Order: sequence, then C-alpha cells, then structure tokens
Amino acid sequence: MKKIVYVLLITLLLFSSSSLFAFSKEVTNPTLVQVGKHKHWCPVCGMSLKKFYKTSHVSKQNSSTPKQYCSMRCLVVDMSQNSIDTKNIQVVDVVSQKLIDAKSAIYVVGSEVKGTMSKVSKLAFSSAEAAEDFSIENGGDIVVFDKVLQMAQESIKSDMAMVTKKKTKKIYPMGKKIFEKICDKKIELKNYKQINQLKAAIKNEKLCKPMKEKQLQALSLYLFEVKRFDNLKKNDAIIQVTKDDKCPVCGMFVYKYPKWVAQIFYKNSHYSFDGVKDMMKYYYEHRKDISKILVIDYYSHETIDALKAYFVIGSDVYGPMGDEIVPFKSKSEAKVFSMDHKGFKVLNFDEIKEQEVYKLDE
Amino acid sequence: MNIYLVEYAINSLLRQKYKTIFVTVILTTLVFLLTSVFFITNSIKYELQSTVDALPEIVVQKIKAGRHYDLDSERVDDILEITGVNSAVARVWGYYYFANVGVNFTVVGIDEYEEQYKNSLNLIAKSLDFSTNSMFVGEGVKKSMSESYYKEYFNFIKPNGTLKKMNISGVFEGDTQLESNDMIVMSKENARDIFDMSQSRATDIVVKVANVDEIHTVASKIRLIFPDSRVITKDDLKISYQNIFDYKSGIFLALFVVSLFTFFIIIYDKASGLSSEEKREIGILKAIGWRVDDVLKEKFYEGFIISFFAYLLGVFLSLGFVYILKAPLIQKIFTGYSELKTSFDLPFVFDIQTLALVFFLSVPIYIAATIIPSWRSATLEADEVMR
Repeated sequence: MKKIVYVLLITLLLFSSSSLFAFSKEVTNPTLVQVGKHKHWCPVCGMSLKKFYKTSHVSKQNSSTPKQYCSMRCLVVDMSQNSIDTKNIQVVDVVSQKLIDAKSAIYVVGSEVKGTMSKVSKLAFSSAEAAEDFSIENGGDIVVFDKVLQMAQESIKSDMAMVTKKKTKKIYPMGKKIFEKICDKKIELKNYKQINQLKAAIKNEKLCKPMKEKQLQALSLYLFEVKRFDNLKKNDAIIQVTKDDKCPVCGMFVYKYPKWVAQIFYKNSHYSFDGVKDMMKYYYEHRKDISKILVIDYYSHETIDALKAYFVIGSDVYGPMGDEIVPFKSKSEAKVFSMDHKGFKVLNFDEIKEQEVYKLDE
Repeated sequence: MNIYLVEYAINSLLRQKYKTIFVTVILTTLVFLLTSVFFITNSIKYELQSTVDALPEIVVQKIKAGRHYDLDSERVDDILEITGVNSAVARVWGYYYFANVGVNFTVVGIDEYEEQYKNSLNLIAKSLDFSTNSMFVGEGVKKSMSESYYKEYFNFIKPNGTLKKMNISGVFEGDTQLESNDMIVMSKENARDIFDMSQSRATDIVVKVANVDEIHTVASKIRLIFPDSRVITKDDLKISYQNIFDYKSGIFLALFVVSLFTFFIIIYDKASGLSSEEKREIGILKAIGWRVDDVLKEKFYEGFIISFFAYLLGVFLSLGFVYILKAPLIQKIFTGYSELKTSFDLPFVFDIQTLALVFFLSVPIYIAATIIPSWRSATLEADEVMR
C-alpha cells in the first residue's frame, strides 16, 4: 500500500514539476541597462523588457547610452536605421540571466519556445553544454552569433509582415479606443524620439488614466506609429455611386455591384464601371486628361488608387461581367489571392495589356 | 350600388340568425387560426433572421475528444495573419445554471477596448465599469434574479464552491430578444473567474471577413492551421437554425392543411346546392320582378358582408392573441427547443402578404360558394323554382 502511495506521489511530483518548469521569458529581477524612466521598455517596439528578458539584447551605440531591446528582431531593425557596432552587443544568458558578450554566446534557434516578435526564437547561453541540454529538451539548432544575426536579417521581412498584420487588425484599433476614452488629447508626440520614452511619459506624467501594461502597449503603439503620422497620409477618395450610374461599356447599373465598382475621373466628369475589366476597355480608348482612377480592394472593400494597386488577372472569382481583373492594396495580398483562386498573373496597373483584357471575354 | 339591395341582404342575414352565426363562427375561427400561425411564424422568422444576421462570419472552436474545449487565445494572432481576415476576437462566454429558478444564463465576458463582435455589446462596453465587479443583465435574467430576491447583486457560485458577488449595474436591450433575454455581460476577467478559466484561454474565436465571398477560403485555411478546430461559418449556422425552424413549421403545416380541408368541406356543402327554402325565396323575388343580376348582387352583398366581417374579426382576434396575450399554447410548439432559456416576446412584424393570402383564401371563395348555386336557381324560370 505504501509503495503505491509513493509511486503515486512521485508521478504526481514529476507531472506537476514538468508543468512548473514550462519555459517563461519573464524574470523577476531583470538587469536593465538603459538610463532613465524609459528603461523598462524596448526602444524599438515598446514591449516590456522584464516580460521578454530572456531574449533581450543590449547594444552600445558609438559612445552614447546603451539601448536594450526585447529581442534580436528589434536589434536588427535598429541596426538598419542607426549605426551599431556589432562587436559591442550583449545578450542575456538564459541560465544565469546575466548579460554576456553576444560574440561568445551560443544560440539555440528554432526551439519549441515561441519567438519574441519573430517566428523562431533565438535564445543565448554562455556555455555550449547548457545550450546542448536545452536543445535536447526543447529542440532547435545550435548556432553562433554571426550566423544568428544573418538569419534574423534574412527573416526580418516576413517577421515584420506578421507583426504589421496583427498591429493593423487588432492593436491600433484598440489603442485608438483607449486614447479616445481615457487620454489627454494634447499629447505632444513630436517630443518623443523612441516609443519607450513615450510610454514612460504616459505612465509617469499621467497623460492618461492608469491602465494595464497590455493596454499601455497598445496605446503607445497607436500613438507612436499611427497618430504621429496622421497628417501625412490622408485617403479621402472614396468611391460613391448613385442609382443612375451606368457602366458606359456594358450598360449595366453599377450600384448593384458595390464590391466591383471602379471609377475614372476626368477634368470635369467621371465614369463608373462595374468591374476593372470594363474600366480598362474604356481606359484604352480614352486616355487623355485622366485626373485619377479608383478601384476597390477585393479583401477589405476599401477604395484604393488604381495606379498604386496590384491586379490579379484570370482567377476563378467572377465579377458581374464574368472573368475579372481583381484589384488589391498590397502585392502580398494579390499573391495570396492568386494562389487561392488559381490566378494567372499578378500585375501593376501599367502592366495590364489590352490583349489580355479582351482575352478574358473569350 | 343599390342601397335597397344592401338593406335586403342585411335583413336576409338577420332573418337566418342561426345560420349566419354558424357561418361567421366557422369563418372567424379559420381566419383566426391561419393568421395566428402566420403571425407567429413570421415573428419567429424575423427574430431568427436578425439573430443570424448579427452572428459573426466565422466561429472557431477547439474540439478535444469530440467535445468543445477551451482554446489558447494566442491563436487569434495566427488567424489575423490570414489574408482577408478583418478582425478576430477571442470570446469568453459560457452557460451558468441558476438552480433556484431552473434556468440557464449566458455569461458573456467582454474587453473594454477590444473590437466588439456585436453592436449591442459596443453600447455596454461604453457604460460598464470594468474596474469593479459589475455586470449588465438581460431583462429575463433580471426577472429570474429578482424572483430569488437578488435585486442589486447576484452571487455566482464558482467551480470551487466559493461565491463571487457581482453587482447589477443595469439592464440592457440587445438587437433581438432571443439573444439578449438570457444574457449577462461582464468584464472578461470576471467571466474567467466565474468559469475558472486561466488568463490565456478563451471559449472560442470569432472572425470577421469583409468580403463574404472569401469566408469559405478563410475557413478552410483556419482548418489547415488548426486541425483540432471546428470552424463554423455563418451559412452553417443559418442552415441549422433553419432546420429547427422548418421542423416546427411542419407541425403547423399539418394544422393548416386540416383547417383548410374543413373549410373546403363547408364550401362544397354550400356550393352543391341550396335548401328548398332558399330556392323558393329566389323564385318569389324573380316573380315580383327582380332580374337575375339583382338576385346575384344581393347574394354577393350577403356573402361579402358575412365573410369580410368574419375576416376582420379573425385578424383582430389573432393580433390580440399573438401580440397581446403572447400566443399561449401555440408558441410553446415553436420555442420548445429553448426550454431552459427564459422565454421571449414575439416581435411585431406586420406582413401584408400574409393578410392578403388569408383574405384570398377565405373571402372570395366564400362569396363564390354563395353566388354560384344562387345563379343556378336564378337563371331558371320563377315558377319552376317555386314548384
């Protein structure tokens, strides 16, 4: 009987301990090397350094104060904008949680641990044995700093795209709501050069009512990355059609197909079309004095400038007039659409050829 | 229009008092039954339609051992990466069984600054105090709670047996009664606390897709990323709602057929011949100089007055029955599937088509049934009819 109890106790201990040791990047006593009230946050992305301490990197710019990043991704981003001496980079050792020289550190890349701001995690160890032990338990490859840096630079584009999507779809709208609800509307955003300085100011100077770290992050991201550039980008062109508008090419009423409307503006007049295909047919005949051309993005239904848009020709998605040329805001979206819907080509506005347009009707 | 003919028709109806009353009662009952059924089905259809319309395009659940299970709320980030997705929100919600009254409440947790997946929740997010233990309750919930003397607050029993006191800070109205009646809205933290869920978990994820044509593609991509998930699109939900509803309307169809059958038997009985007394009346009228069309006009007025009166009476009775008395008995058949839910009111939907349908099923048919046999006797010679 006693044996069974022991066995039970031991298995229980084993199970509970394995879940207890689930890897966390957060530590209780992080070493923060930046100077000032903004030292708690990463200067590039604004995330809490305490929470992502185990992936944290430190760089010393030429003789100025050090910067501490939440991850190698932010280090790489900063490198592309400022000159940073790669010889003078420090990284947190996962085991001792102290800052060590990155050049001598051994990295485990692509383990089961989730990456910070990146698809693959990059964790540093001071000794090769510790790194090996970790990779046996959690998977991942053992790599030296220069190689890791190169990998991070290569993957920066896809990492950025991943974060951008999350930000535009979730974080910016959230930040905007927070800003409108509990903040002093007169925050002078030009005063802050780095996002962590803005964050520190919001928190310490009481520019907003108190909030949680997650909300503070959303708010600062919105203010720093969207609100700051508010005056620069203005997209006031929106496609509007009346019930009388007819497509001059096919004669159909346009208002019935709001998803497909395209418009050409001339000096004094404008025409609406029930699809990019018909618009192109008209465009080839009447190219003079065009002031602007508007189309509607397939995914978001936002109005976009046709000259900056990307088009997929020959997909299995039909518009009101059959085979269509489908417009997109970004090239990546156009490519995804092209793959999903058996598209033939992804083109710029200028690359659409008259022959190909007429071929769609065959 | 000859006013004397109308007067004669009314007098003739009054003369045959019992017959008139009998026909009126039958006709009224028929109209009443038909219109009540149509009113109820229309109302519920409307209610369901607006409920379905308010639903998100895609709901993602996690299935473990064939059951719906909590999922990691970080899955939202992966879903947001899919092209075509407008927004994705991790929901925290569940049912709370209140044993005293024997009803299930739907407890919904919302985040103050997140995008709300329903319009009605937007309003609540503005007025709810997220820093304290407060909640908004639906009207049905409010009633059930006050039956147990919970007027200002309510004690939830957490899974570990301890109590969680939540203040009722207001009553809210949703887009439809069906959804809001049994709903309780509070902050996500409080909802997680009541259901003993950890901070990183959520019940399901709702996904908004701007272009409806892309729903299918997005859904299949989510299935690929998370093989353990059940992805429900709006169309799937619409079909399952419709199935429940169609099954219930089948019962009504049976009722409808039976009452129509009865009605047509009465009509057939009338049309197959007049009583000898009625025939004699027509004969006398012709003998004193009435023309055929006079007789027919008089019979038309007679039929129109009685059937139109019965139609109006039936419609008003059913309006009162359905919308004032809340359709006792009949409504139970339809709402049976939500037995545990608190009941809901039928929204008033005025559908001219239904009324026209019932009108044409009753009034012209009855008029025809009175005129045709009279026309047959009226065209005969007077002495032949009287003999």
